[in-house]
Amino acid sequence: MFGIRSGFAAIAVACVSAMAFAQGSAGDPLGVGRQMLAEDNPGELWVERGKTLFHQKRGPRSASLEKCDFGIGPGKLEGAYAQLPRYFPDTDKVQDVESRLVTCMVNLQGFTYQQAIKDHFGTLDRMSDIEALVAFIASKSNGMKMNVPLSHQKEYDTYKAGEYVFYRRNGPTDFGCITCHGDNGKRIRLQDLPNMTDQKQIQAVASTWPAYLGTKSTVLTMQNRLYECTWQMRLPDLAYLSDLSVAITSYLNHQGNGAVIQVPGVKR
Amino acid sequence: MHKKTGLAWSAVIVPVLIAAGCASLPDEATTRQIAEGMIKVGFSATPEHAKRLVQDKSQQICSKIGDARLTPGEADEVLKLARASIKYPQSGKLAGDWKVGAKLAYNGSGTRIRGGKLEKAKENGALCSNCHVLDPKEFNVGNIGPSLAGYGAQRGNSDATVKYTYEKLYNAWAYFPCSNMPRLGHNGHLTPEQITHVVAYLTDPASPVNRK
Amino acid sequence: MAEPMKIRATLQVDTADVRILMLHPMETGQRKDAKGAIVPMHFIQNVVVTHNGKNVLDAQWSQAISRNPFLGLRVKGARAGDKISVTWTDNKGDKRTDEVAVAAQS
Repeated sequence: MFGIRSGFAAIAVACVSAMAFAQGSAGDPLGVGRQMLAEDNPGELWVERGKTLFHQKRGPRSASLEKCDFGIGPGKLEGAYAQLPRYFPDTDKVQDVESRLVTCMVNLQGFTYQQAIKDHFGTLDRMSDIEALVAFIASKSNGMKMNVPLSHQKEYDTYKAGEYVFYRRNGPTDFGCITCHGDNGKRIRLQDLPNMTDQKQIQAVASTWPAYLGTKSTVLTMQNRLYECTWQMRLPDLAYLSDLSVAITSYLNHQGNGAVIQVPGVKR
Repeated sequence: MHKKTGLAWSAVIVPVLIAAGCASLPDEATTRQIAEGMIKVGFSATPEHAKRLVQDKSQQICSKIGDARLTPGEADEVLKLARASIKYPQSGKLAGDWKVGAKLAYNGSGTRIRGGKLEKAKENGALCSNCHVLDPKEFNVGNIGPSLAGYGAQRGNSDATVKYTYEKLYNAWAYFPCSNMPRLGHNGHLTPEQITHVVAYLTDPASPVNRK
Repeated sequence: MAEPMKIRATLQVDTADVRILMLHPMETGQRKDAKGAIVPMHFIQNVVVTHNGKNVLDAQWSQAISRNPFLGLRVKGARAGDKISVTWTDNKGDKRTDEVAVAAQS
């Protein structure tokens, strides 16, 4: 398995898209449904809601998020998500889309940090504002290639820290991310697992989050996915927006570079 | 005036050169320091639960990055530590009741933490079906580990086989260092008594695992 | 619970390909909440789609339709700019209407 570690040239992204949105046929009866879901999934409603919230004057400062800098300039959204996580000089740290959004909610709109992150994970009965906003912001990179930078020292540090954590065996199960995500064709019970040491599969994952999850009936983000992983690994609660969560995301997303973003994805 | 400008320029150029020249992948030791620092503050954990993040010697050895491999010395050390850790049930009987084992084998719950609270469970499940085929009639099973259908039918249920099965369940790393399989007994997820029931589920000729 | 729908209507020659996403819990009345109490029935009972004011679809839905449902239909004899209007009504009497203009073939 050579994957990304031997520095192969970028894999044709068209293959990834074709795989994901296969046409249905007698041999693949679920394909039609999958394609329909890929083109119109309920996550689109989160994107719409996020758009409204983004432009709305909210918080103690009664300001919109229109001046938020997601890495390519204040107010520039097209292509911003594609280059996250990245280093931000004003906070002097590497941030993913979600933590950057919260930075802006605090600095531009005047929310306290606790107010901003309240109810950040949506449920069956309650929609999350942050998830709607992340869905909207990410959708502004649809059709563009993932392009996470590695140039600032903290970006290098964060990337390598994420790799270290990916392989770290921990807890009462001795699991590392590698335990479940290190091989092709594996599944936990009937849930297929992507091999996160294979660039093609990483690209398919990185380019389809945030996603609408059928079992949760809401759009969820990578922050949530990582939280649920560490829960299953019998580790304590992963801290929301922690440097640790951003490091793992950096490690994954950078390897996903070249994938064409198509969000919100739809997953089980 | 010119002198001042010269100094001002060098104040700009030098840091830029340093920034451009020095940004690079950190070495192993630096990475470990940064990552472990992130892990320390990366979880909302009580001091008790935070202990789960501390790696024991074997876990440290087994955290090989990328294509890195265990050295023979490291493999030996993990094997030795694992063998020394094995505890047997008070009764000395290593094969219990396969019917109890059957329930445990498909139970994937126990020891998880959500919102700072430990999962409420009567007992911890053995987690087997998450990764293994067991009773060939059960299809809601994973494939991270090899199929165990017909385990006892193939190997028999001699004392030696039962002992090996017990030990493997108690600490899988006693036979395969750094295996993907959790060290169920050693890590306290299953009691020795529970393990004997899973042993029976695998080895007893009457168990569904071994029926055609 | 009357959140806006998302409706796309694109013209393909003379047929409008209409895709509608609705936000609705579509509770069957059989699900139990975390405390063990039954979550009451709450589902869309009727969906009406009109094309320039004329009914083209009148659907009676039941609890069998899933949460946050998707409805797709094709309307013959459409032209760019035509109005497609969608109205749903649920068993609690909640109603929601949204409309779009048929977009020209791209």
